Amino acid sequence: MNILTDWPAFLPGLLAGLGVSVQVALLSLLIGIPGGLLLAIGASSKTKLVRILIIGIVEIGRGTPALVVLQIFYFGLPASGLTLSSMGASVVALAATTAAYTSEILRGGLQAVPQGEVEAAGALGMSRRDTLRFIVIPQGFRVAIPSLIGFAILIFQATSLAYTVALPELLSQAYSIGSTTFNYLSVLVLAGLMYAAITIPASWLTSRAEKRLARHL
Amino acid sequence: MPPHIEPPRIQEKPLTKPFAIQLESVAKKYGDHTVLNNVSLSVREGEVTAMIGPSGAGKSTLLRCINFLERPDTGCITVEGNQIDAGTNFTAKDLAALRRNVGMVFQSFNLFPHLNVLRNVSIAQERVLGRSRKEADVRSMQLLERVGLADKAKQYPSRCSGGQQQRIAIARALALDPRVMLFDEPTSALDPEVGLEVLAVMKELAAEGMTMVVVTHEMQFARDVSDHLVVMANGTIIEEGDPEQVFTNPVQTRTREFLRAVLER
Amino acid sequence: MDIFLTILQGVPMTIGLTVSALALGALGGIPLALGRRSTIPGVSFVAVSLIEILRGIPPIVWLFIIYFGLGTALPMLDPLTSAVAGLGLISCAYMAEIYRGGLSAITRGQWEAGEALGMGRQSVLTFIIGPQVFRVSIPAAASYAIGLLKDSSVAYTIGVSEIVYFANDQSRQSSDALGPFFLSALVYVIMTIPCAWATRALDARLRMRVAR
Ligand SMILES: Nc1ncnc2c1ncn2[C@@H]1O[C@H](COP(=O)(O)OP(=O)(O)OP(=O)(O)O)[C@@H](O)[C@H]1O
Ligand SMILES: [Mg+2]
Repeated sequence: MNILTDWPAFLPGLLAGLGVSVQVALLSLLIGIPGGLLLAIGASSKTKLVRILIIGIVEIGRGTPALVVLQIFYFGLPASGLTLSSMGASVVALAATTAAYTSEILRGGLQAVPQGEVEAAGALGMSRRDTLRFIVIPQGFRVAIPSLIGFAILIFQATSLAYTVALPELLSQAYSIGSTTFNYLSVLVLAGLMYAAITIPASWLTSRAEKRLARHL
Repeated sequence: MPPHIEPPRIQEKPLTKPFAIQLESVAKKYGDHTVLNNVSLSVREGEVTAMIGPSGAGKSTLLRCINFLERPDTGCITVEGNQIDAGTNFTAKDLAALRRNVGMVFQSFNLFPHLNVLRNVSIAQERVLGRSRKEADVRSMQLLERVGLADKAKQYPSRCSGGQQQRIAIARALALDPRVMLFDEPTSALDPEVGLEVLAVMKELAAEGMTMVVVTHEMQFARDVSDHLVVMANGTIIEEGDPEQVFTNPVQTRTREFLRAVLER
Repeated sequence: MDIFLTILQGVPMTIGLTVSALALGALGGIPLALGRRSTIPGVSFVAVSLIEILRGIPPIVWLFIIYFGLGTALPMLDPLTSAVAGLGLISCAYMAEIYRGGLSAITRGQWEAGEALGMGRQSVLTFIIGPQVFRVSIPAAASYAIGLLKDSSVAYTIGVSEIVYFANDQSRQSSDALGPFFLSALVYVIMTIPCAWATRALDARLRMRVAR
């Protein structure tokens, strides 16, 4: 095994896989985070039934491994007449997981907004909706940003689970190169480093975000 | 400098002025702890009412009942002709109508830290009065000018001193053209010196004829600026009347004790 | 019902896998956490790099590297050993970070008090700081353990017969493709939710017993 000749040969296939991984991660976050926000707002609903229902959904969503959610959407749903492509199933499954987890993160952020500001907005005659939209959500999001970046890193890592539904993402590509070249170790290590090349700098971003957050708050 | 002449306010405002605020038998309990015990209070147009009393007397609670930040258990509240009976169901529209005329200033300022000073003053004008951003900003700049902070418009609240933040909060409340202003210990989170900036703005407002209710520990302000003094203790108004009268010759022993305690410090 | 019972057969494996990996992490995290704080040149850098790499690569990729990558050369790496090793290694990095958080929660005053009593740094660490660090770390470690329990499901991809392995098997065999996965989800939820509640309660209790 020779890294100098192997790795350049592996690279095109792996980069294509990485592209798919990034795409799945971004789409899941794009769909999942607004979902999480809706759940977070719903969890503080005045109606008890709504609250209980939403907290139940969130707990189940967080309690179930993303891998199982993925199997449900890809292998399970066709039985009930809804067939998703491996891409579709991966995005939907990871978006659902994202919604469940980020709802807890965002709920924490929204609760961190001082009650006094909510009262001030009320005293100024602003409606509940406007208060949420202009005062609570912008600040709650800001508080939540470091945790959201941390979660985004985990979701990017979780795209590797889509290997189980034959999505040609980074791990699938690495595995299939491994099975044709019998050079599993070399190609898997390269794939691992490619994941790390994204996740490690991203985690530095988290601590940067935490520092910047101190401004205007 | 010409000698400072106190405007003869009392003659200017005959007692026939209509009521701006009327509270009738307002009661509030937290659990089985009675915080307000059937309190009634009337405030006339253009009058400055100061509310004093020991900690825990229920001053803040009463003030917050006026604009329903705190919902009383029972009692009827009328502000500028908009009436809400706490005992009955009322709509968000009723509440909005009542709050429409009431501005409020808090002890802890409660500015919005993610918005710059100008946005802080403009946002409610846009959302509540439906003004365009441009109109709102013009009005906001006038008000910031008036509280002496036009140069801070683009700053964030965290870059302003406490006294400046409180003056911004006053501008923010005034921006909705309220007919009544409520103040809950506006200076007690401030150094005495900085508090003076805020008190100066409030005095000016009073001189212009704004109806004000001020909960305060500033006895000097209560004595000099207010037209009507209310003393609260244990969830009731124990004494009220002309400030000079109450300060120099209180009727109730409890008032006397309280005044001695605060004035002899 | 039969399907449910079959899936339950995977529970001991899931728990065993989680506990073994966690135990490895709880031990391996100590040198990593201490290494991170070390003032010896290079040691801290190595510790930080190890932690970042271990956490930066997805668990399933670690399992593949160990099982398919190293396994071709080292035949004793059966699926279970590979899974324990992979998840254990990752746990070392996460536990090291948890200990670090715990260490920074202990005030300087505790070090000073210990040293003022004439104890050496080594014994202050062992008898005063260490026990407190473990105590403050328990809640974070518990929530990590819950996450690990769910992450252990990736071991199915290299053929460890844990919960998802059985669910997958049942899904293929029976006419009902969806049911087995729902049941496996139910099993995880049943296992994790009470743990999460217990952790929150424990957290509140333990915080009171640590000097601040
Ligand atoms: N949300 C609440 N829940 C329970 N009790 C409350 C609540 N808010 C106020 N109280 C109680 O109501 C009483 C009156 O409180 P209030 O804040 O109106 O007093 P205050 O006269 O403004 O005192 P201070 O001068 O300290 O501001 C106090 O005994 C207080 O403990
Ligand atoms: Mg008060």
